Amino acid sequence: MTGFEQIIGINPWTALFTFCNMIITFLLLKKFLFKPVKKMIDQRQKEIDDLYADAENSKAKAQEIQAEYESRLDSARAERDELMADAVKRAQKREQEIIAQAKDQAASMMTRAEADIAQEKKKALNQVKNEISSISVSIAQEVVGREISAADHERLVTEFIGKLGETQ
Amino acid sequence: MNGPKIYLQINGMNVITQTTVASFAVMILLCTAGYFLGRNLKKRPGRMQVITEKGVSMLYSLVEETMGRHNAYWTPYIGALFLSSLGGSLIGMTGIFRSTTSDISTTLTWALMTSFLVWGCTIKNSGLKTFLKGYINPMNIISDIAQPVSMGFRHFGNIMGGSVLTSLLYSALAAGSAAILGLIKTYGLLEIAAVALIGGGIVFLGFRRKKLWVKIAGGAVIALAAASALEFFGVFSSVPILQVGLPGVLSLYFDVFSGGVQALVFSLLTMVYVGMACPPPRDPKEH
Repeated sequence: MTGFEQIIGINPWTALFTFCNMIITFLLLKKFLFKPVKKMIDQRQKEIDDLYADAENSKAKAQEIQAEYESRLDSARAERDELMADAVKRAQKREQEIIAQAKDQAASMMTRAEADIAQEKKKALNQVKNEISSISVSIAQEVVGREISAADHERLVTEFIGKLGETQ
Repeated sequence: MNGPKIYLQINGMNVITQTTVASFAVMILLCTAGYFLGRNLKKRPGRMQVITEKGVSMLYSLVEETMGRHNAYWTPYIGALFLSSLGGSLIGMTGIFRSTTSDISTTLTWALMTSFLVWGCTIKNSGLKTFLKGYINPMNIISDIAQPVSMGFRHFGNIMGGSVLTSLLYSALAAGSAAILGLIKTYGLLEIAAVALIGGGIVFLGFRRKKLWVKIAGGAVIALAAASALEFFGVFSSVPILQVGLPGVLSLYFDVFSGGVQALVFSLLTMVYVGMACPPPRDPKEH
C-alpha cells in the first residue's frame, strides 16, 4: 500500500481494467444470462401463441362442422317432410283409385246381375208360356175333345199370351 | 476524503488501486449471479426463474421502448452496463470495497465506451462521409467531447458527493457526540442518574399516550444516560453515540437511491445516444 490517489484523477490503468471488466461482464452476462433467458421467454411465448392459435382453429373448425351438420339436418328434415307429403298424397290417390275401381266393379256386377235376372225372367216366362200353352192345349183337348189344328193352336196360344201380357 | 488506495505501483504508475479490485469483485459477483440465474431454465419456472425472467424482460422492454424494437439486441450491453454501475455503486456499502463509480476513471471509461459505440454506429449506418460531414459545424466536435465528459462526471459526482456527504456527516456526528459526552463527564453520577430517570419518564409517558415516537425519544435519552455512565466509569472513551441511526437513513438515499438513479440515468443516456445513431431500418414496403 503506497498511499492514495487524488480524488479527481484519471488513471489509465484503472480505465483499462474497467474497460476489460465491462467487456467481460457484457460477454458473460450475454452468454449465460440474457440469451438463454430471452430464448426461454420467447419459446414460451411462441408455445402460448401456438396453443391459442390451435384453440382458435379448433373452435372455428368445430363451429364450421356444427353449422354443416345443422344445415344437413335441416335439409334431411325438409326431405323427410317432402317424402311424407308425397307418400300421403300417393296413398290418397291410390285410395281414391281403389274406391273408384270398386265402384266400377260393383256397378258392372249390378248391370250383369240385372241382365242375368232379366234373361232368367225371360227364360222363365218362355218356359211358363210353353208350359201354359201345352197345358192349355191339353186342357183344351180335354175340354174340346178334339185336336186343334196347329194353326188354331198357334193362334190360341198367341191370343192367350197376349191376354197374359195384358194382365201382367 | 481520499481517492482510491493504491495497491500496486510499477515504475511510478498506479497499476492496481482500490477501484480495480472493486471492479473485479463486481464483475465476478455479476457473472457468478448471472451464471447461476441463467442455468437450468425450465418451461415451468421456479421462483428464482420467474424473478430472473421478469428482470430480463423488463430490461428488454425498456430497451425496446427507448431504442426501438430493431435495437433490442443492445439489451445485453445495456443490462451489463446498468448492473455494473449499480453493483459498482452498491459495493461501496459493504465497507470492504470502495465504490467503483466514485472513481472518475471508471465512469469516464464507460462514457467513452458509449461515445465510441455512437460513433461506430453512425459510421456503420450512414457511412464515414456523413459522419465526417457532421463535423463541418465545429459545435458538433464540442458536443461530442462534452457528451462523455458530462455523462462520466455526472455519475462520478453523484456517487462521490454522496460518500463525501456521508463521511462529513459521520465526522460531524462524532464531534457532536464527543461534545455531549464531554459535557456529561463534567457532571457527577447523580446527573447521569437524573438523565436516566428523565428518559424512563418519557418512555412511561410514551406507553401511557401510546405514541411510538415518544417511546423512541425516551429510549434515546436512556441510551444517552447509559453511554454517559460508561463514559463516566471510563469503560469507553468518547463513544460516537449520535452515529447510530441517522447515517443509515441518509445512506439509503445517497448510496441505494442515488446509485440506482445514476445507473438508470447512465444506461438511459447510453440507450438514447446509441439509439439515435441506430435509426430504424427503412421499410422496403414504403418505396
